[in-house]
Amino acid sequence: MTKIDEEVEDLTTPHFFLDRPWITIVWDDPVNLMSYVTYVLMTLFGYSKERAHELMLQIHNEGKAVVSSGRREEMERDVQRLHEKGLWATLQRDDQ
Amino acid sequence: MTTSTAFNRHGENSFVATFAQTEREVLVNLTEQLIEILAERVDDAFRDPLAAMVGITGHDSPPDDEVLLRLLPNAYADPIESAEFRRYTESGLREKKRAHAMAVRSHLLNETSEEISLDHDSAQAWLGAINDIRLALGVRLKVEENSHEQLELLAPDDPMRGVYAVYTWLGWLQESLILSLMDDIGD
Repeated sequence: MTKIDEEVEDLTTPHFFLDRPWITIVWDDPVNLMSYVTYVLMTLFGYSKERAHELMLQIHNEGKAVVSSGRREEMERDVQRLHEKGLWATLQRDDQ
Repeated sequence: MTTSTAFNRHGENSFVATFAQTEREVLVNLTEQLIEILAERVDDAFRDPLAAMVGITGHDSPPDDEVLLRLLPNAYADPIESAEFRRYTESGLREKKRAHAMAVRSHLLNETSEEISLDHDSAQAWLGAINDIRLALGVRLKVEENSHEQLELLAPDDPMRGVYAVYTWLGWLQESLILSLMDDIGD
């Protein structure tokens, strides 16, 4: 990595901030079937049955799970696809 | 009376269920209600025809109706970002959901035998529409606050009792379709 002096680093900090990835979160809801949530995660994101099942359980037990991350436009598309399937999804900047 | 059966996989690309006449009527009726509710805001759509053509509408506030809000949820926690997203995407989402419901409706109306046979693509429309109907019924039944035990104990004359029966039936039907489809993908 290129070393930059502190003054320049200060100026560029906001850009690093903006470059942080975005994430798509699926929230638990009492209607969607567990099998349906698993199936949707498999078909929309190509997750294996095991991985999709794991994420579904996380949604169910913890109330939410991050199902994808990347550029904002990509996450907006993911949220749209999840809404189309009836899953309750939002996107936000990754604050980890 | 016909005994209905849940979805079963028949061969490579065929998922088959049988419906009693009354079930068929109930489902047609529900798809029609879904089509109607999803069309609600078309009349006050953004006037610019070019914008409308590319799916931009004037709606940027969340729907007042609880059912619609569940079907067309906010994409951001922040109301301003959410409004902006909604302005560009809500009409497309409505159209996709309506298309699913319309596909199920015409399938049920055009099929003269008791058997409904879906291929993989039409199964996706069915899953979407059944799920949307369940989401809508779930809001009306307040499944968020009421436990299944409470809903099971609804009085025989409570109109919600029938709604809950349909909700349960659709869950059973949807589950059978999902499990048949999952065979496709394997482990």
